[in-house]
Amino acid sequence: MSDPPSIESASQNPHQSTDAALASLLRIPGLWRGRQTAAAGADTCSTGFAALDAALPGGGWPRNGLVEILTPRHGLGELRLLVPLLASLAQRTPARWTAWIAPPFEPYAPALAARGLAIERQLVVRAGAELWALEQALASGACEVALAWTGRTPPVRSLRRLQLATERGRTAGFLFRPSRAARQASPAVLRLSLAPLANGAGVSIELLKSRGGARGVIELRWTGVT
Amino acid sequence: MSPHPRIQATRWVERTAGLATATERTATPVLAPAPPATAAASMPEQVWLALHLPDIEFAACYADMPVTSPGSATARVVVERDGRLPRVLNACAAGRARGIQPGMPLAAALAAVRDLQVRLRSVRRERSLLDTLAGGSFALTSWVSLEPPDAVLLEVRGSLKLFGGEASLLAAAVERSLALTGVRPCVALAPTPLAALVLARAAALAGKPVAPREAARLPAMTSAQSDPALLPGRLAPLPLSLLRWPPDLLERLATLGVRSIGEALRLPRGGFARRFGKAQLLALDRLTGRLREPRPAFVPRERFVARCEPACELSEHAAVLQVAGPLLQQLEQFLRQRQIGITLLVLALRQRPPPGALRGEGILTRVVVRLAAPEFAAVRFAALLTERLTQTALPAPVIHLELRTGAGTPFAPGSDSLWRPGEHGGAAGREAPAFLERLRARLGAESVYGLCLLPAHRPESAWGVAEPQPLRTGPVDPRKAPGRAALACESAAHSHRGRPLWLLQTPEPLAIEQDQLATAGLELLAGPERIETGWWDGNEVLRDYYIARDAAGVELWLYRERDAPHRWFLQGLFG
Repeated sequence: MSDPPSIESASQNPHQSTDAALASLLRIPGLWRGRQTAAAGADTCSTGFAALDAALPGGGWPRNGLVEILTPRHGLGELRLLVPLLASLAQRTPARWTAWIAPPFEPYAPALAARGLAIERQLVVRAGAELWALEQALASGACEVALAWTGRTPPVRSLRRLQLATERGRTAGFLFRPSRAARQASPAVLRLSLAPLANGAGVSIELLKSRGGARGVIELRWTGVT
Repeated sequence: MSPHPRIQATRWVERTAGLATATERTATPVLAPAPPATAAASMPEQVWLALHLPDIEFAACYADMPVTSPGSATARVVVERDGRLPRVLNACAAGRARGIQPGMPLAAALAAVRDLQVRLRSVRRERSLLDTLAGGSFALTSWVSLEPPDAVLLEVRGSLKLFGGEASLLAAAVERSLALTGVRPCVALAPTPLAALVLARAAALAGKPVAPREAARLPAMTSAQSDPALLPGRLAPLPLSLLRWPPDLLERLATLGVRSIGEALRLPRGGFARRFGKAQLLALDRLTGRLREPRPAFVPRERFVARCEPACELSEHAAVLQVAGPLLQQLEQFLRQRQIGITLLVLALRQRPPPGALRGEGILTRVVVRLAAPEFAAVRFAALLTERLTQTALPAPVIHLELRTGAGTPFAPGSDSLWRPGEHGGAAGREAPAFLERLRARLGAESVYGLCLLPAHRPESAWGVAEPQPLRTGPVDPRKAPGRAALACESAAHSHRGRPLWLLQTPEPLAIEQDQLATAGLELLAGPERIETGWWDGNEVLRDYYIARDAAGVELWLYRERDAPHRWFLQGLFG
């Protein structure tokens, strides 16, 4: 192992250029670097879409943390957005469940299997108290991902509880909410708002909130078979 | 040995008839000569006491009725369904005196005695009676063994001295059995368990159940019954039927003139095993003590029951839980000491009866908790009880609590993993069933389910609800995963490619015609794909499937019925 870089060694060496000094400074793990903190320290998982990976802090979905996805209606493509993530979990070695909490329709097992999801790891929960069930799923540690659909407007306090639960159970939480929730403040680490593209066959994703502050609109087009 | 079977058979009969032939002297009899009597005076290694309950079916059926004297009582019988015809299995003394024989049809018994009390045999109650007797026999010895359906065997060598000899031990056993079951047992002592059993059955056959006082007055048999040297002499005159061998075998032996145990013991070993089976030779060896018989020990079934009568009436759920807390702690201690876990927990809450009612008449509310895996931790029980109890209405204040468990299963708590789940590849070990139970305790068992694939072409039948499986560690091989067995080959998997991620529970009819698609804002993207199946089971499906996109940009999975009205349905969303 090489010696850990230190501020003294960087500043005392006159032969090093300022860029090199800066690079050695940036290698110090404890140094706080403004808007890139999330990118450097976050544990993420690729979304499966290059354009989206590039836009998200850390280059993918956060491995633990609450993500809110706001859609004007169900079936716009929000599930297709997550399918690459869910399929990649099938190969993850300590098996944990993928929880579907209060889904608006039935998750269709043959289609999920055809897209590479491990059917025996899917757990469907039909709950009137979907936020309670989501908190249990997130905090228990028994789930790799918990997806929940809610039409109600939960108080910020309970969203904060969900965010804390994801950190406790090391579970990624996805909460699907109607578009009108965009006006409400939220402690989620990532908030996306989905809208259909004008000519169809794709979806435009607006980053409402992300750690590190990146914002913008990404347009994704579905390719190949649906 | 002569090759001719008839000659061989003749010789056999000669031998068994006791005619001294040349062959008899060379063959070894079943009962080998006794070993040199080095320790003849010392105690045998084991002394077995058999408690045989001759009228156990009677006692089990009529346990609720006091035994009456034979003269005055109405006759009682126990019947067994033999095919379609009920037959008398046993009759009381009064019945026998009036001509009822065991084995006769019930109709014949009713013809003989008009006012007959008839009950059907209950094997389950007999077994529980025997369990009671076995459990109570632990006062006499620590090694109790069941011999269903009607006997208990006790190894009492260590207890002989404590109880002051054979006679008083037998008296104690009889008294104990009478107190526990109300049945007068036949008892016998012998150095082998089977011999004790046979001797006890012989006593029953002789119709002389030993009364406690008689047993105490038994003649000078202070150590005679447990002496192995005297055993063959005691067994020899007893009938072979006491061994409960198959009837056809006993009949074959009887045709040879072999009716008593002594006669069977005199037969040559090799021939006996060949003609009547090795199992029977083994039984004789165990009877005489030539071979040791392994006897399984009786293990009483343990359930946990704890009751609590709180000092004041409890009307709040939280108060009930607080009072139940110490009971759960007791339960955990009980389970930990025995290294068992339970999967069923019942908290019975008796509530204050309405004014004027008796104390026992209050409403009884049961809170039942079922667990996915054996568990012993009070914390878990408390958490699940909380979920369950908060959904239970308590109409009146609780005055009495009772905590019961189901049967325990051996359970050794595993090690906790070093990493938390999800951290450095830590698996969800005990968290997974705990999570399931918590959800089910609040939402109901049917609200939490897993998915499975079914081999069917109808889209709505191609999936099913499954019990969530325990998570296996290790990556999933898509070809070996059980849930994918339905997808027989790659092409089948490919055929599900064009399927939507969401399926509607029931297809939703759409109010459109073929040519109105555009006006309804629908744009067909793909199709038709024809699915035509199910003609064999009545749920016939004739559909043309299309993929369409509506005005809002949502991709839909539609179908049009092939038959006359050609209605359109929405069945799925591509999500």
